[in-house]
Amino acid sequence: MSNTLEIKGLSKNFGKIKAVSNLNLTVDSGQVYGILGPNGSGKTTTLGMILDVVAPSGGSYRWFEGMQPIAARKKIGAILETPCFYPYLTAVQNLRITAHIKETPFSRIDEVIRQVGLYDRKDHKFKTYSLGMKQRLSIAAALLADPPVLILDEPTNGLDPQGIAEIRQLIKEIAANGKTILLASHLLDEVQKVCTHFCVLRQGVKLHEGSVNDILGETDEIEISSTDHARLKTELESFKGVESIFDESGHLVVKTINGTSSESLNKYCFDKGITLKRLVTRTKSLEQEFLKILKEK
Amino acid sequence: MIRALKLEWLKIRNYRTFWILLGMYLLALVIICFGGMFFLEYLKSQGANFDGIDPTILPIYDFPDIWQNTTYLGSFLKVLLAFIVIISINNDQSYNTLRQNIIDGVSKKEYLLSKLLFIAVLAFISTLFLFASGLINGAVYSHVWGASYIFDEMEFLFAYWYDIVILCTLAFLLSLVIKKSGFVIIALTLYTLMFEPIAGVIMTEAPFMKNGIWPHLVPYMPIHAINDLIEVPFPKYIFREIEDNVTISALVRSSVWLAIYLVGITFILNRRDLKS
Repeated sequence: MSNTLEIKGLSKNFGKIKAVSNLNLTVDSGQVYGILGPNGSGKTTTLGMILDVVAPSGGSYRWFEGMQPIAARKKIGAILETPCFYPYLTAVQNLRITAHIKETPFSRIDEVIRQVGLYDRKDHKFKTYSLGMKQRLSIAAALLADPPVLILDEPTNGLDPQGIAEIRQLIKEIAANGKTILLASHLLDEVQKVCTHFCVLRQGVKLHEGSVNDILGETDEIEISSTDHARLKTELESFKGVESIFDESGHLVVKTINGTSSESLNKYCFDKGITLKRLVTRTKSLEQEFLKILKEK
Repeated sequence: MIRALKLEWLKIRNYRTFWILLGMYLLALVIICFGGMFFLEYLKSQGANFDGIDPTILPIYDFPDIWQNTTYLGSFLKVLLAFIVIISINNDQSYNTLRQNIIDGVSKKEYLLSKLLFIAVLAFISTLFLFASGLINGAVYSHVWGASYIFDEMEFLFAYWYDIVILCTLAFLLSLVIKKSGFVIIALTLYTLMFEPIAGVIMTEAPFMKNGIWPHLVPYMPIHAINDLIEVPFPKYIFREIEDNVTISALVRSSVWLAIYLVGITFILNRRDLKS
Protein backbone atom coordinates (compact mmCIF):
# COMPACT_ATOMS: atom_id res chain seq x y z
CA MET A 1 0.00 0.00 0.00
CA SER A 2 1.43 3.34 -1.01
CA ASN A 3 0.92 6.39 1.08
CA THR A 4 -1.16 9.18 -0.32
CA LEU A 5 -0.42 11.86 2.19
CA GLU A 6 2.31 12.25 4.71
CA ILE A 7 2.27 15.11 7.19
CA LYS A 8 5.35 15.77 9.28
CA GLY A 9 5.43 18.16 12.20
CA LEU A 10 2.93 20.53 10.63
CA SER A 11 2.20 23.62 12.73
CA LYS A 12 0.25 26.81 12.32
CA ASN A 13 0.10 29.79 14.63
CA PHE A 14 -2.31 32.64 14.27
CA GLY A 15 -0.57 35.18 16.42
CA LYS A 16 -0.37 33.62 19.85
CA ILE A 17 -2.96 30.97 19.12
CA LYS A 18 -1.58 27.59 18.15
CA ALA A 19 -4.17 26.36 15.67
CA VAL A 20 -2.19 23.24 14.79
CA SER A 21 0.90 22.07 16.56
CA ASN A 22 3.38 19.50 15.41
CA LEU A 23 0.91 17.28 13.61
CA ASN A 24 2.07 13.98 12.16
CA LEU A 25 -0.25 11.94 10.00
CA THR A 26 -0.05 9.34 7.29
CA VAL A 27 -2.94 8.47 5.06
CA ASP A 28 -2.53 5.35 2.96
CA SER A 29 -4.22 4.95 -0.35
CA GLY A 30 -7.69 3.45 -0.11
CA GLN A 31 -8.31 4.59 3.44
CA VAL A 32 -11.32 6.61 4.44
CA TYR A 33 -9.64 8.73 7.01
CA GLY A 34 -11.65 10.80 9.45
CA ILE A 35 -10.25 13.84 11.19
CA LEU A 36 -12.38 14.23 14.23
CA GLY A 37 -12.46 17.14 16.57
CA PRO A 38 -14.65 19.76 18.13
CA ASN A 39 -15.14 23.08 16.39
CA GLY A 40 -11.96 25.12 16.35
CA SER A 41 -9.69 22.13 16.83
CA GLY A 42 -7.64 22.85 13.72
CA LYS A 43 -9.29 20.52 11.21
CA THR A 44 -9.91 23.08 8.51
CA THR A 45 -6.57 24.79 9.13
CA THR A 46 -4.83 21.46 8.62
CA LEU A 47 -6.70 20.84 5.38
CA GLY A 48 -5.96 24.42 4.31
CA MET A 49 -2.26 23.84 4.78
CA ILE A 50 -2.11 20.60 2.80
CA LEU A 51 -4.04 22.37 0.03
CA ASP A 52 -1.65 25.33 0.00
CA VAL A 53 -4.15 28.04 0.90
CA VAL A 54 -2.84 28.46 4.44
CA ALA A 55 0.89 28.94 4.88
CA PRO A 56 2.26 26.54 7.55
CA SER A 57 4.31 28.05 10.38
CA GLY A 58 6.41 24.90 10.42
CA GLY A 59 6.62 21.33 9.23
CA SER A 60 5.95 19.78 5.86
CA TYR A 61 3.60 17.57 3.92
CA ARG A 62 3.95 15.34 0.90
CA TRP A 63 1.31 14.24 -1.57
CA PHE A 64 1.64 10.99 -3.49
CA GLU A 65 5.15 10.41 -2.18
CA GLY A 66 6.54 13.71 -3.33
CA MET A 67 4.50 14.94 -6.29
CA GLN A 68 4.66 18.64 -7.20
CA PRO A 69 1.95 20.36 -5.07
CA ILE A 70 0.17 22.01 -8.01
CA ALA A 71 0.11 18.81 -10.05
CA ALA A 72 -1.02 16.95 -6.93
CA ARG A 73 -3.93 19.34 -6.33
CA LYS A 74 -5.29 18.58 -9.79
CA LYS A 75 -5.55 14.95 -8.64
CA ILE A 76 -7.42 15.89 -5.49
CA GLY A 77 -11.06 16.81 -5.28
CA ALA A 78 -11.49 19.07 -2.30
CA ILE A 79 -14.08 21.18 -0.59
CA LEU A 80 -13.22 23.34 2.37
CA GLU A 81 -16.01 24.46 4.70
CA THR A 82 -18.69 26.25 2.70
CA PRO A 83 -19.24 25.66 -1.01
CA CYS A 84 -17.43 28.33 -3.05
CA PHE A 85 -18.92 29.17 -6.43
CA TYR A 86 -19.84 32.20 -8.49
CA PRO A 87 -23.45 33.00 -7.50
CA TYR A 88 -24.19 34.59 -10.86
CA LEU A 89 -23.26 31.44 -12.82
CA THR A 90 -25.29 28.26 -13.22
CA ALA A 91 -24.12 24.91 -11.91
CA VAL A 92 -22.84 23.94 -15.34
CA GLN A 93 -21.02 27.23 -15.88
CA ASN A 94 -19.41 26.96 -12.45
CA LEU A 95 -18.27 23.42 -13.08
CA ARG A 96 -16.78 24.47 -16.43
CA ILE A 97 -14.32 26.59 -14.46
CA THR A 98 -13.44 23.63 -12.26
CA ALA A 99 -13.13 21.36 -15.30
CA HIS A 100 -10.88 23.89 -17.02
CA ILE A 101 -8.60 24.07 -13.99
CA LYS A 102 -8.53 20.30 -13.56
CA GLU A 103 -8.02 19.76 -17.30
CA THR A 104 -11.06 17.53 -17.45
CA PRO A 105 -13.36 17.37 -20.49
CA PHE A 106 -16.62 19.33 -20.13
CA SER A 107 -18.50 16.14 -20.96
CA ARG A 108 -17.93 14.93 -17.38
CA ILE A 109 -20.04 17.79 -16.01
CA ASP A 110 -23.46 16.31 -16.77
CA GLU A 111 -22.32 13.02 -15.31
CA VAL A 112 -21.35 14.39 -11.90
CA ILE A 113 -24.34 16.70 -11.72
CA ARG A 114 -26.55 13.67 -12.25
CA GLN A 115 -24.57 11.72 -9.64
CA VAL A 116 -25.35 14.26 -6.93
CA GLY A 117 -28.96 14.65 -8.02
CA LEU A 118 -28.90 18.20 -9.34
CA TYR A 119 -29.63 17.47 -12.96
CA ASP A 120 -33.00 19.22 -12.97
CA ARG A 121 -31.46 22.41 -11.67
CA LYS A 122 -28.22 22.37 -13.62
CA ASP A 123 -29.04 25.49 -15.62
CA HIS A 124 -30.18 27.49 -12.63
CA LYS A 125 -27.94 30.08 -11.06
CA PHE A 126 -25.98 29.00 -8.01
CA LYS A 127 -27.47 31.81 -5.92
CA THR A 128 -30.94 30.27 -6.26
CA TYR A 129 -29.79 27.03 -4.63
CA SER A 130 -30.64 25.89 -1.14
CA LEU A 131 -27.79 25.11 1.23
CA GLY A 132 -28.19 21.40 0.60
CA MET A 133 -27.99 21.88 -3.16
CA LYS A 134 -24.91 24.06 -2.79
CA GLN A 135 -23.30 21.34 -0.71
CA ARG A 136 -24.13 18.77 -3.38
CA LEU A 137 -22.71 20.95 -6.11
CA SER A 138 -19.46 21.23 -4.21
CA ILE A 139 -19.33 17.45 -3.96
CA ALA A 140 -19.98 17.31 -7.70
CA ALA A 141 -17.06 19.69 -8.23
CA ALA A 142 -14.84 17.50 -6.06
CA LEU A 143 -15.82 14.43 -8.06
CA LEU A 144 -15.47 16.13 -11.43
CA ALA A 145 -11.97 15.09 -12.34
CA ASP A 146 -12.56 11.57 -11.01
CA PRO A 147 -9.69 12.15 -8.58
CA PRO A 148 -8.03 9.34 -6.62
CA VAL A 149 -8.26 11.47 -3.47
CA LEU A 150 -11.19 13.37 -2.03
CA ILE A 151 -10.99 15.88 0.80
CA LEU A 152 -14.32 16.65 2.37
CA ASP A 153 -14.67 19.17 5.14
CA GLU A 154 -17.96 18.80 7.00
CA PRO A 155 -19.70 17.51 3.88
CA THR A 156 -23.08 17.11 5.51
CA ASN A 157 -23.13 20.48 7.20
CA GLY A 158 -26.49 22.13 6.81
CA LEU A 159 -28.19 19.22 5.12
CA ASP A 160 -31.52 17.75 6.18
CA PRO A 161 -31.59 14.16 7.49
CA GLN A 162 -32.42 12.75 4.07
CA GLY A 163 -29.65 14.77 2.46
CA ILE A 164 -27.20 13.61 5.13
CA ALA A 165 -28.10 9.98 4.48
CA GLU A 166 -27.71 10.46 0.73
CA ILE A 167 -24.35 12.15 0.98
CA ARG A 168 -23.07 9.46 3.35
CA GLN A 169 -24.27 6.79 0.96
CA LEU A 170 -22.48 8.64 -1.84
CA ILE A 171 -19.26 8.77 0.19
CA LYS A 172 -19.48 5.05 0.88
CA GLU A 173 -19.99 4.33 -2.81
CA ILE A 174 -17.02 6.47 -3.72
CA ALA A 175 -14.91 4.74 -1.09
CA ALA A 176 -15.99 1.36 -2.40
CA ASN A 177 -14.43 2.34 -5.73
CA GLY A 178 -11.06 2.37 -4.00
CA LYS A 179 -10.68 6.11 -3.60
CA THR A 180 -8.86 7.65 -0.69
CA ILE A 181 -11.03 10.00 1.32
CA LEU A 182 -10.01 12.46 3.96
CA LEU A 183 -13.04 13.56 5.92
CA ALA A 184 -13.06 16.25 8.55
CA SER A 185 -16.03 16.28 10.83
CA HIS A 186 -17.19 17.06 14.30
CA LEU A 187 -19.96 14.51 13.90
CA LEU A 188 -18.78 11.33 15.58
CA ASP A 189 -21.60 9.34 14.14
CA GLU A 190 -20.56 10.38 10.66
CA VAL A 191 -16.97 9.28 11.10
CA GLN A 192 -18.13 6.03 12.68
CA LYS A 193 -20.41 5.31 9.77
CA VAL A 194 -18.12 6.05 6.86
CA CYS A 195 -14.50 5.98 7.98
CA THR A 196 -12.02 3.15 8.24
CA HIS A 197 -9.42 5.14 10.14
CA PHE A 198 -9.55 8.25 12.21
CA CYS A 199 -7.63 10.63 14.39
CA VAL A 200 -8.80 12.96 17.08
CA LEU A 201 -7.65 16.57 17.21
CA ARG A 202 -8.08 18.96 20.07
CA GLN A 203 -6.69 22.46 20.03
CA GLY A 204 -4.41 21.50 17.22
CA VAL A 205 -2.92 18.50 18.97
CA LYS A 206 -3.45 14.93 17.82
CA LEU A 207 -4.80 12.96 20.77
CA HIS A 208 -5.46 9.63 19.18
CA GLU A 209 -5.07 7.78 15.92
CA GLY A 210 -6.25 4.35 14.89
CA SER A 211 -8.68 2.23 12.99
CA VAL A 212 -12.37 2.60 13.61
CA ASN A 213 -12.94 -1.16 13.94
CA ASP A 214 -10.34 -1.52 16.67
CA ILE A 215 -12.06 0.94 18.86
CA LEU A 216 -15.58 -0.33 18.34
CA GLY A 217 -16.92 -3.71 19.35
CA GLU A 218 -19.00 -5.25 22.13
CA THR A 219 -18.80 -4.08 25.69
CA ASP A 220 -19.35 -6.11 28.83
CA GLU A 221 -22.64 -4.41 29.51
CA ILE A 222 -26.00 -6.01 28.83
CA GLU A 223 -29.33 -4.27 28.95
CA ILE A 224 -32.24 -6.36 30.18
CA SER A 225 -35.77 -5.89 31.37
CA SER A 226 -38.77 -7.98 32.29
CA THR A 227 -42.28 -7.41 33.56
CA ASP A 228 -41.33 -7.86 37.20
CA HIS A 229 -38.54 -5.42 37.52
CA ALA A 230 -37.82 -5.82 41.24
CA ARG A 231 -37.72 -9.60 41.13
CA LEU A 232 -35.38 -9.61 38.17
CA LYS A 233 -33.00 -7.44 40.09
CA THR A 234 -32.98 -9.59 43.23
CA GLU A 235 -32.52 -12.78 41.26
CA LEU A 236 -29.64 -11.33 39.30
CA GLU A 237 -27.82 -10.19 42.40
CA SER A 238 -27.13 -13.81 43.21
CA PHE A 239 -25.85 -14.62 39.70
CA LYS A 240 -22.10 -15.20 39.72
CA GLY A 241 -21.38 -13.72 36.33
CA VAL A 242 -22.65 -10.29 37.35
CA GLU A 243 -20.42 -7.61 38.74
CA SER A 244 -22.94 -4.82 39.18
CA ILE A 245 -26.46 -3.87 38.23
CA PHE A 246 -27.86 -0.40 37.80
CA ASP A 247 -31.12 1.09 36.61
CA GLU A 248 -31.14 3.12 33.51
CA SER A 249 -34.14 4.58 31.72
CA GLY A 250 -36.59 1.85 32.63
CA HIS A 251 -34.37 -1.18 32.24
CA LEU A 252 -31.48 -2.80 34.03
CA VAL A 253 -27.92 -2.58 32.89
CA VAL A 254 -25.85 -5.54 33.96
CA LYS A 255 -22.10 -5.30 33.97
CA THR A 256 -20.79 -8.82 33.52
CA ILE A 257 -17.51 -10.46 34.48
CA ASN A 258 -15.63 -13.60 33.53
CA GLY A 259 -16.90 -13.35 29.96
CA THR A 260 -20.49 -14.06 30.84
CA SER A 261 -22.45 -14.05 27.60
CA SER A 262 -25.93 -12.75 27.04
CA GLU A 263 -26.90 -16.32 26.27
CA SER A 264 -25.98 -17.62 29.73
CA LEU A 265 -27.64 -14.65 31.35
CA ASN A 266 -30.82 -15.38 29.46
CA LYS A 267 -30.68 -19.05 30.47
CA TYR A 268 -30.18 -18.15 34.11
CA CYS A 269 -33.20 -15.89 34.14
CA PHE A 270 -35.32 -18.44 32.31
CA ASP A 271 -34.39 -21.12 34.80
CA LYS A 272 -35.53 -18.81 37.55
CA GLY A 273 -38.87 -18.45 35.81
CA ILE A 274 -38.32 -14.96 34.45
CA THR A 275 -38.88 -14.21 30.78
CA LEU A 276 -36.88 -11.31 29.45
CA LYS A 277 -38.52 -8.63 27.38
CA ARG A 278 -35.28 -7.09 26.37
CA LEU A 279 -31.78 -8.44 25.98
CA VAL A 280 -29.19 -6.24 24.28
CA THR A 281 -25.43 -6.37 24.47
CA ARG A 282 -24.17 -2.83 24.40
CA THR A 283 -21.66 -1.97 21.67
CA LYS A 284 -19.09 0.74 21.93
CA SER A 285 -19.80 3.90 20.05
CA LEU A 286 -17.21 6.29 18.82
CA GLU A 287 -18.93 8.92 20.88
CA GLN A 288 -18.14 7.17 24.17
CA GLU A 289 -14.62 6.39 23.06
CA PHE A 290 -14.14 9.94 21.87
CA LEU A 291 -15.27 11.37 25.18
CA LYS A 292 -13.04 8.87 26.96
CA ILE A 293 -10.07 9.94 24.83
CA LEU A 294 -10.77 13.61 25.49
CA LYS A 295 -11.02 12.89 29.23
CA GLU A 296 -7.89 10.81 29.42
CA LYS A 297 -5.57 13.40 27.92
CA MET B 1 -1.07 31.84 -21.13
CA ILE B 2 -4.13 30.78 -23.12
CA ARG B 3 -5.10 28.64 -20.14
CA ALA B 4 -4.93 31.60 -17.76
CA LEU B 5 -6.91 33.78 -20.13
CA LYS B 6 -9.56 31.12 -20.58
CA LEU B 7 -9.93 30.81 -16.81
CA GLU B 8 -10.87 34.48 -16.64
CA TRP B 9 -13.08 34.21 -19.71
CA LEU B 10 -15.13 31.42 -18.13
CA LYS B 11 -15.68 33.65 -15.11
CA ILE B 12 -16.95 36.70 -17.01
CA ARG B 13 -18.58 35.12 -20.05
CA ASN B 14 -21.97 34.81 -18.40
CA TYR B 15 -21.53 37.64 -15.91
CA ARG B 16 -24.08 40.23 -16.85
CA THR B 17 -22.76 42.96 -14.55
CA PHE B 18 -19.44 42.82 -16.35
CA TRP B 19 -20.96 43.24 -19.80
CA ILE B 20 -23.20 46.09 -18.68
CA LEU B 21 -20.29 47.95 -17.09
CA LEU B 22 -18.07 47.37 -20.10
CA GLY B 23 -20.86 48.52 -22.43
CA MET B 24 -21.43 51.68 -20.43
CA TYR B 25 -17.73 52.39 -20.37
CA LEU B 26 -17.35 51.97 -24.11
CA LEU B 27 -20.41 54.12 -24.70
CA ALA B 28 -18.92 56.87 -22.54
CA LEU B 29 -15.64 56.52 -24.42
CA VAL B 30 -17.33 56.88 -27.80
CA ILE B 31 -19.28 59.90 -26.57
CA ILE B 32 -16.07 61.57 -25.41
CA CYS B 33 -14.27 60.80 -28.65
CA PHE B 34 -17.06 62.02 -30.87
CA GLY B 35 -18.08 64.85 -28.61
CA GLY B 36 -15.18 67.20 -29.34
CA MET B 37 -16.76 68.98 -32.26
CA PHE B 38 -20.12 69.25 -30.49
CA PHE B 39 -18.35 70.76 -27.53
CA LEU B 40 -16.66 73.34 -29.73
CA GLU B 41 -20.03 74.12 -31.34
CA TYR B 42 -21.40 74.61 -27.86
CA LEU B 43 -18.55 76.95 -26.95
CA LYS B 44 -19.26 78.93 -30.10
CA SER B 45 -22.95 79.16 -29.28
CA GLN B 46 -22.00 80.52 -25.88
CA GLY B 47 -20.00 83.21 -27.59
CA ALA B 48 -16.57 81.89 -26.75
CA ASN B 49 -13.64 82.79 -28.95
CA PHE B 50 -9.93 82.24 -28.58
CA ASP B 51 -8.16 85.47 -29.50
CA GLY B 52 -10.76 86.09 -32.15
CA ILE B 53 -10.73 82.57 -33.52
CA ASP B 54 -13.95 80.67 -34.04
CA PRO B 55 -13.61 77.57 -31.81
CA THR B 56 -15.11 75.23 -34.42
CA ILE B 57 -12.22 75.74 -36.79
CA LEU B 58 -9.74 74.41 -34.20
CA PRO B 59 -8.25 71.32 -35.91
CA ILE B 60 -8.68 68.99 -32.94
CA TYR B 61 -9.54 66.07 -35.21
CA ASP B 62 -6.61 66.55 -37.59
CA PHE B 63 -4.21 63.67 -38.03
CA PRO B 64 -1.92 63.06 -36.26
CA ASP B 65 -2.88 65.48 -33.45
CA ILE B 66 -6.13 63.63 -33.06
CA TRP B 67 -4.32 60.78 -31.31
CA GLN B 68 -2.97 62.91 -28.51
CA ASN B 69 -6.27 64.77 -28.21
CA THR B 70 -8.52 61.71 -28.01
CA THR B 71 -6.21 59.61 -25.87
CA TYR B 72 -5.92 62.50 -23.46
CA LEU B 73 -9.69 62.87 -23.19
CA GLY B 74 -10.32 59.13 -23.19
CA SER B 75 -7.91 58.56 -20.34
CA PHE B 76 -10.24 60.47 -18.02
CA LEU B 77 -12.52 57.45 -18.16
CA LYS B 78 -9.89 54.90 -17.20
CA VAL B 79 -11.07 54.87 -13.62
CA LEU B 80 -14.35 53.33 -14.84
CA LEU B 81 -12.42 50.46 -16.34
CA ALA B 82 -10.64 50.07 -13.02
CA PHE B 83 -14.06 49.48 -11.41
CA ILE B 84 -14.50 46.39 -13.54
CA VAL B 85 -11.14 45.09 -12.36
CA ILE B 86 -12.03 45.87 -8.74
CA ILE B 87 -15.30 43.97 -9.02
CA SER B 88 -13.61 41.01 -10.67
CA ILE B 89 -10.91 40.74 -7.99
CA ASN B 90 -13.37 41.37 -5.22
CA ASN B 91 -15.69 38.61 -6.44
CA ASP B 92 -12.90 36.07 -6.17
CA GLN B 93 -12.27 37.14 -2.61
CA SER B 94 -15.78 37.52 -1.30
CA TYR B 95 -17.06 34.32 -2.92
CA ASN B 96 -13.89 32.56 -1.78
CA THR B 97 -13.40 31.37 -5.32
CA LEU B 98 -9.77 32.49 -5.31
CA ARG B 99 -9.20 29.92 -2.59
CA GLN B 100 -11.24 27.32 -4.45
CA ASN B 101 -9.32 28.00 -7.69
CA ILE B 102 -6.06 27.38 -5.86
CA ILE B 103 -7.38 24.26 -4.15
CA ASP B 104 -8.47 22.99 -7.54
CA GLY B 105 -4.97 23.40 -8.93
CA VAL B 106 -4.34 26.98 -10.09
CA SER B 107 -0.97 28.28 -9.00
CA LYS B 108 -0.84 31.75 -7.53
CA LYS B 109 1.35 32.78 -10.43
CA GLU B 110 -1.25 31.54 -12.87
CA TYR B 111 -3.97 33.42 -11.02
CA LEU B 112 -1.92 36.62 -11.18
CA LEU B 113 -1.30 36.02 -14.87
CA SER B 114 -5.00 35.49 -15.56
CA LYS B 115 -5.90 38.80 -13.95
CA LEU B 116 -3.08 40.71 -15.64
CA LEU B 117 -4.09 39.33 -19.02
CA PHE B 118 -7.65 40.31 -18.24
CA ILE B 119 -6.46 43.86 -17.55
CA ALA B 120 -4.31 43.90 -20.68
CA VAL B 121 -7.20 42.74 -22.84
CA LEU B 122 -9.61 45.27 -21.32
CA ALA B 123 -7.11 48.05 -22.00
CA PHE B 124 -6.62 46.71 -25.51
CA ILE B 125 -10.37 46.72 -26.22
CA SER B 126 -10.53 50.30 -25.00
CA THR B 127 -7.55 51.27 -27.18
CA LEU B 128 -9.12 49.57 -30.17
CA PHE B 129 -12.36 51.51 -29.69
CA LEU B 130 -10.43 54.71 -29.35
CA PHE B 131 -8.44 53.94 -32.48
CA ALA B 132 -11.57 53.14 -34.47
CA SER B 133 -13.37 56.28 -33.35
CA GLY B 134 -10.22 58.28 -34.11
CA LEU B 135 -10.20 56.92 -37.65
CA ILE B 136 -13.86 57.78 -38.12
CA ASN B 137 -13.56 61.28 -36.68
CA GLY B 138 -10.39 61.88 -38.66
CA ALA B 139 -12.10 60.73 -41.84
CA VAL B 140 -14.88 63.21 -41.21
CA TYR B 141 -13.01 66.24 -39.92
CA SER B 142 -9.30 65.94 -40.68
CA HIS B 143 -7.84 68.45 -43.07
CA VAL B 144 -5.06 66.09 -44.00
CA TRP B 145 -5.29 62.46 -45.05
CA GLY B 146 -2.79 59.72 -45.85
CA ALA B 147 -0.99 56.92 -44.07
CA SER B 148 1.97 59.09 -43.09
CA TYR B 149 -0.36 61.39 -41.12
CA ILE B 150 -2.78 58.80 -39.88
CA PHE B 151 -0.19 56.44 -38.46
CA ASP B 152 2.05 59.13 -37.07
CA GLU B 153 2.17 59.49 -33.28
CA MET B 154 0.74 56.03 -32.69
CA GLU B 155 2.83 56.09 -29.52
CA PHE B 156 -0.07 57.85 -27.86
CA LEU B 157 -2.23 54.81 -28.38
CA PHE B 158 0.40 52.70 -26.68
CA ALA B 159 0.67 55.25 -23.87
CA TYR B 160 -3.11 55.16 -23.52
CA TRP B 161 -3.06 51.38 -23.22
CA TYR B 162 -0.18 51.47 -20.75
CA ASP B 163 -1.88 54.17 -18.68
CA ILE B 164 -5.00 51.98 -18.26
CA VAL B 165 -2.96 48.86 -17.50
CA ILE B 166 -1.10 50.61 -14.68
CA LEU B 167 -4.19 52.14 -13.11
CA CYS B 168 -6.01 48.79 -13.27
CA THR B 169 -3.02 47.05 -11.69
CA LEU B 170 -3.22 49.59 -8.88
CA ALA B 171 -6.93 48.76 -8.59
CA PHE B 172 -5.99 45.07 -8.41
CA LEU B 173 -3.57 45.74 -5.55
CA LEU B 174 -6.05 47.94 -3.68
CA SER B 175 -8.76 45.29 -4.01
CA LEU B 176 -6.46 42.78 -2.36
CA VAL B 177 -5.61 45.16 0.47
CA ILE B 178 -9.07 46.61 1.07
CA LYS B 179 -11.43 43.71 0.65
CA LYS B 180 -14.64 45.67 0.25
CA SER B 181 -15.23 46.67 -3.35
CA GLY B 182 -17.33 49.71 -2.44
CA PHE B 183 -14.52 51.16 -0.38
CA VAL B 184 -11.95 50.51 -3.08
CA ILE B 185 -14.09 52.15 -5.74
CA ILE B 186 -14.63 55.26 -3.63
CA ALA B 187 -11.03 55.39 -2.44
CA LEU B 188 -9.59 55.00 -5.93
CA THR B 189 -11.96 57.53 -7.49
CA LEU B 190 -11.38 60.14 -4.82
CA TYR B 191 -7.65 59.61 -4.81
CA THR B 192 -7.33 59.74 -8.59
CA LEU B 193 -9.62 62.67 -9.23
CA MET B 194 -9.26 64.68 -6.02
CA PHE B 195 -6.78 63.81 -3.33
CA GLU B 196 -3.68 63.50 -5.45
CA PRO B 197 -4.35 66.54 -7.69
CA ILE B 198 -5.14 68.66 -4.63
CA ALA B 199 -2.09 67.37 -2.78
CA GLY B 200 -0.07 68.21 -5.89
CA VAL B 201 -1.37 71.78 -5.89
CA ILE B 202 -0.65 72.17 -2.18
CA MET B 203 2.85 70.81 -2.59
CA THR B 204 3.67 73.23 -5.40
CA GLU B 205 1.80 76.30 -4.18
CA ALA B 206 1.67 76.27 -0.39
CA PRO B 207 4.05 78.89 0.99
CA PHE B 208 5.60 76.50 3.49
CA MET B 209 6.20 73.83 0.87
CA LYS B 210 6.91 75.45 -2.46
CA ASN B 211 10.50 76.34 -1.68
CA GLY B 212 11.46 72.92 -0.41
CA ILE B 213 11.76 69.56 -2.10
CA TRP B 214 7.97 69.11 -2.28
CA PRO B 215 7.26 70.55 -5.74
CA HIS B 216 9.89 68.23 -7.21
CA LEU B 217 8.14 65.20 -5.76
CA VAL B 218 4.82 65.92 -7.43
CA PRO B 219 5.66 64.29 -10.79
CA TYR B 220 6.57 61.10 -8.98
CA MET B 221 3.18 60.62 -7.39
CA PRO B 222 1.41 57.53 -8.77
CA ILE B 223 -1.44 59.13 -10.69
CA HIS B 224 0.61 62.10 -11.80
CA ALA B 225 3.21 59.72 -13.22
CA ILE B 226 0.72 57.86 -15.41
CA ASN B 227 -1.13 61.04 -16.38
CA ASP B 228 2.18 62.43 -17.66
CA LEU B 229 2.25 59.68 -20.27
CA ILE B 230 -0.16 61.78 -22.31
CA GLU B 231 0.32 65.49 -21.65
CA VAL B 232 -2.48 68.04 -22.01
CA PRO B 233 -2.57 68.78 -25.75
CA PHE B 234 -4.97 71.72 -25.93
CA PRO B 235 -2.74 74.68 -25.03
CA LYS B 236 -1.21 74.30 -28.47
CA TYR B 237 -4.37 75.75 -29.96
CA ILE B 238 -3.65 79.01 -28.21
CA PHE B 239 -0.09 78.83 -29.51
CA ARG B 240 1.61 77.55 -26.40
CA GLU B 241 4.47 75.12 -26.45
CA ILE B 242 3.36 71.63 -25.39
CA GLU B 243 4.95 68.23 -25.02
CA ASP B 244 3.74 66.35 -28.07
CA ASN B 245 5.62 63.12 -27.41
CA VAL B 246 5.39 60.41 -24.83
CA THR B 247 8.39 61.25 -22.69
CA ILE B 248 10.92 58.72 -21.50
CA SER B 249 10.70 60.27 -18.05
CA ALA B 250 6.97 59.57 -17.81
CA LEU B 251 7.50 56.02 -19.07
CA VAL B 252 10.15 55.36 -16.45
CA ARG B 253 8.19 56.90 -13.58
CA SER B 254 5.00 55.02 -14.43
CA SER B 255 6.87 51.75 -15.04
CA VAL B 256 8.42 51.99 -11.59
CA TRP B 257 4.95 52.31 -10.10
CA LEU B 258 3.76 49.33 -12.13
CA ALA B 259 6.67 47.30 -10.78
CA ILE B 260 5.81 48.34 -7.23
CA TYR B 261 2.17 47.29 -7.69
CA LEU B 262 3.19 43.93 -9.10
CA VAL B 263 5.58 43.26 -6.24
CA GLY B 264 2.83 44.20 -3.78
CA ILE B 265 0.29 41.90 -5.43
CA THR B 266 2.73 38.99 -5.56
CA PHE B 267 3.65 39.53 -1.93
CA ILE B 268 0.04 39.52 -0.77
CA LEU B 269 -0.95 36.52 -2.88
CA ASN B 270 1.96 34.50 -1.57
CA ARG B 271 1.67 35.49 2.05
CA ARG B 272 -1.99 35.72 2.77
CA ASP B 273 -3.83 32.82 4.33
CA LEU B 274 -6.98 32.25 2.34
CA LYS B 275 -9.14 31.20 5.24
CA SER B 276 -12.67 32.38 5.16
